[in-house]
Amino acid sequence: MHDRPTTTPAPGHDSEATSHVSAASPRGQAAAGLVGALAKAARAFTLYDPGNALVRQFIGDYRARVEAATAGGPVELEVKPFELLCGREVVYHEEDRERSLAFKLFRDGVRSLTFARAADGDELLRLLQILAVRFVGIRQAEDDVVTLLRKEEFRSISFTAVEGYTSEEQTADAGLRHRGGEPPPGFDTPFPKLPPPGPIAYVPIPDAALGALRGEEAPEALGVSGVRLAAELVAWAARGALPAAEVAQLCGELRDFLVADGQLALLASLAELPLRLAAGPLRDELLRGLADARLLEAVIGSLPAQGGALPPEALRLVPFVPAAAVMDRLAAEEAPGRRAALLAIVEERLPADADAVAAKLPGLGVELVRELLKLLARKAPDRADPVSLALLGHADASLQLEALRALAGSAQKLPAAPFVEALRSPVEAIRIAAAHALEHHGDTAAARAVADALTSRKGYSRDEAAALGRTLGALHAGAALRLFDGWLEHKKSLLGGLRGGEHDELLRWAAVAGLGVIPGAEAEQRLEAVAQWAGEELRRHVHGTVGRRRAEARRLAPDGGGAP
Amino acid sequence: MRDELLQAQAELAKALGRARAGEDRDLAQKVREAGEQVAHLLSGLLKLTRVHAPENHAFDAPVAEFGKALAALVELLGTVHVVTVEDQIYVNDVRIRSEGKAGSRDLGAELRRHDAGGLSFHAPLQDVGVRALVRALGAPAPDGEGKREALLAALQAAEVTTVEPAGVFRLRLEEGEDRRTPDEVIRRVLGLVAETWANLEQGRVLNPLPLRRGVLDLLDLGLGAPAFWGGFPAEAAPHAIHATEVAMVALLTARTAGFSTGFVQDLGIAALVHDTGYLTRGVGDGPAAFARHPLEGARVVLRQRGFHEAKVRRLRAILEHHRDHATPGARPTPGGAILRLAEDYVNVARLYGARVLRADALGAMVKASGTLYHPVLAQVLVNALGRHPPGTLLELDDGRFARVAAPARSPELWERPLVRAIDPRTRQLSPEIIDLANGPRIRRAVPG
Repeated sequence: MHDRPTTTPAPGHDSEATSHVSAASPRGQAAAGLVGALAKAARAFTLYDPGNALVRQFIGDYRARVEAATAGGPVELEVKPFELLCGREVVYHEEDRERSLAFKLFRDGVRSLTFARAADGDELLRLLQILAVRFVGIRQAEDDVVTLLRKEEFRSISFTAVEGYTSEEQTADAGLRHRGGEPPPGFDTPFPKLPPPGPIAYVPIPDAALGALRGEEAPEALGVSGVRLAAELVAWAARGALPAAEVAQLCGELRDFLVADGQLALLASLAELPLRLAAGPLRDELLRGLADARLLEAVIGSLPAQGGALPPEALRLVPFVPAAAVMDRLAAEEAPGRRAALLAIVEERLPADADAVAAKLPGLGVELVRELLKLLARKAPDRADPVSLALLGHADASLQLEALRALAGSAQKLPAAPFVEALRSPVEAIRIAAAHALEHHGDTAAARAVADALTSRKGYSRDEAAALGRTLGALHAGAALRLFDGWLEHKKSLLGGLRGGEHDELLRWAAVAGLGVIPGAEAEQRLEAVAQWAGEELRRHVHGTVGRRRAEARRLAPDGGGAP
Repeated sequence: MRDELLQAQAELAKALGRARAGEDRDLAQKVREAGEQVAHLLSGLLKLTRVHAPENHAFDAPVAEFGKALAALVELLGTVHVVTVEDQIYVNDVRIRSEGKAGSRDLGAELRRHDAGGLSFHAPLQDVGVRALVRALGAPAPDGEGKREALLAALQAAEVTTVEPAGVFRLRLEEGEDRRTPDEVIRRVLGLVAETWANLEQGRVLNPLPLRRGVLDLLDLGLGAPAFWGGFPAEAAPHAIHATEVAMVALLTARTAGFSTGFVQDLGIAALVHDTGYLTRGVGDGPAAFARHPLEGARVVLRQRGFHEAKVRRLRAILEHHRDHATPGARPTPGGAILRLAEDYVNVARLYGARVLRADALGAMVKASGTLYHPVLAQVLVNALGRHPPGTLLELDDGRFARVAAPARSPELWERPLVRAIDPRTRQLSPEIIDLANGPRIRRAVPG
């Protein structure tokens, strides 16, 4: 979870609805502290992720304030539409209905709230939970503050309540007059055939028997119950008795609940429901409905802190985790173990999510891009090259470099133009990488561009010269030999190459490297001839080139290089 | 201390995650934006009625835009509640920005002409529906009382059944806590059930909150209150009575079995709406409707957006409320099993009560436990209702006839219930409760 930026002050800062607070007595001030801390903690969840460190501070502050305020006895708060009063003192005032704790309590019907001395810590937390849920939740037809409070059966927090919002003309009997919406005549028939009656008696029931039943409906069993329900509804939908969209909606809601509860095994069971179906609209709708970024939280949550392999249940969920979400997470993840796990998830999502992966690449660091391009090349080869080609246009030189390296290794024949373009890059590493890529993807026209790069530019390094020479030799041996002869012959005339311009020296360097990749005895003879007159550095370059050339020949020989 | 706080934070995160399950993370913002559009466009459309009739082409574009924005909100929320309070507008509790937008701010005044404080949209509206809504809202309100009813009638006459005007909201300022009598509570619950059925038939989404408050009131007052077990108001709809009777038996069974308060509440709501599947168009009648209504009832619940423990329980209980205990591979949950018991018990009394003693019905059901019913829960029901379940006609030792007024109060008093004597002249139940623990003795139970 990530902290969201906010302007909300830290706990010590009392900006929460205190502008009209009139509490002057120590008791009133303590109550104002309690209420302010409660309101702040409850509302914090609308501003921050629940895991945020500030939320923790707010919770701690709230508990401390309750403890301080109730040290001298119970604190009774009277609830007004926009204010909370302790005795006659206003201890909270906020008129914005969306922000106001007082309004939320009042609107739902709460008229007083009392904290007993030394209120139970667990109850305080559950009260905060109720208020926080009312602050953050929007689809809340099921409960309000009063029903939630009544469900909790607190012992150290008490309240009084009325009906809350009422329509002006509403009366208790209004509904009795409602007509319309009735079952058909003879509903609930035919009645099942029952056996003849037997005697009845009061029979005490062992608590163990009831306990098992209660366990099935306990909150902890909700996930199991929900997945069972989803399975049944999917089965109905498969028979055509239920629209796919209705079931998909429930499955999506259940998924979010299981994610929030961290119930990985049940999530995996839920995810398997569509996979067991035959191909068709229902399966497609369920798969679409279940795939969601929130699943990533559950998958990542299953990883040990130091990283490592995903547990089997998490692996079963990976097909439902959109790669875009993983990529976002990847960009922020610094722990190597988790990063590796995220990359493993991306790999699983390929080739299906190749476009999503590609779209997020420009925002990532070079190392990640390198890894991801490798993954793309392995799992989505047809998408890897276009992605890398697109990166060539990116402003970041390091990304261009990674893209060129990936493209150089592509098994597909690619157009030479982007690489020829890259030969004009101001960055030498990119020019060298482009030359390497052209070795595989260039043509005779590209050979001309390479030759131009060698002859028309000045001030490049020996490495670049060698790369360009090799590329030239590989692309057009005939033309290259003619050029190389010229470059090398010219130097012979200058007293064995002892003198000459820097550019000429670079051309000789390129020519030697280029001869190294041209097949045939003729090229090697030329190299040996150069060694006769070359200076020390060039001679070493020749020897190195010849050595590499022979090693390569041995490697490519049919017998694996055993022959001399 | 830090560990404790971390744990508290984790629990809160989990609770909030549960509460927001099924919601987009930026739902509030989406609601705010779409809600602002709906409020602004509706207000603009109402102003336009002063210049043109709603059929005029000038309405075409804004009507289409309104329909689109509303459909987006319905997709997000299920039911869209637009509420105006003074000069502020809320859509499902999210405040809509109206600063600098007089149009939106005027919406409250436009609605108050009809004594309405808001509108609930239970489904998207087509072009013709939007125009009808605008025509109804733009028309002059009748003088005197009943303005909102007139608006509702105008909408229904135009077949706009999924829009529901809400009253002008006010906040009750009376001091003190409401204390209702059992009679008031039962009338309210019966009314809520009838209202819910009528709403669902009009295509509206189930609103469980008022039902939950009703169930809470029943539980708070104690399930033994005689007002909850018979003598319901004559004007109450039969299906509302049936649902309430099933709810009472289900609540009693669940309470006796010691289920949690949350579960008991949820089961009570499920019981109050368990038969709403019969409202589905084309469900038919007789055996076909009987077979189909549990699934159609579950669909009614499915239309409610958002995840909630109660929703899952409700769905399962409704789906399973006619399912046999011994169904291979699909044994009902405790909620479904309790509802099945309660439904069948109430139906036996309703269909065969003139000929069959309620105790005999229970005796037959106990014999069928293990196949039709959960064996433990069937016995729980027997223990809870007593030797002479509520409604049973008894002849007493002193020659009087009486009806059982409440379920068993304790194991010791299991055979000696509270009763109401029948006035031999009027054949009406007397209001006075007689505790048979203090005599007279029961001579016999009589069908009827």
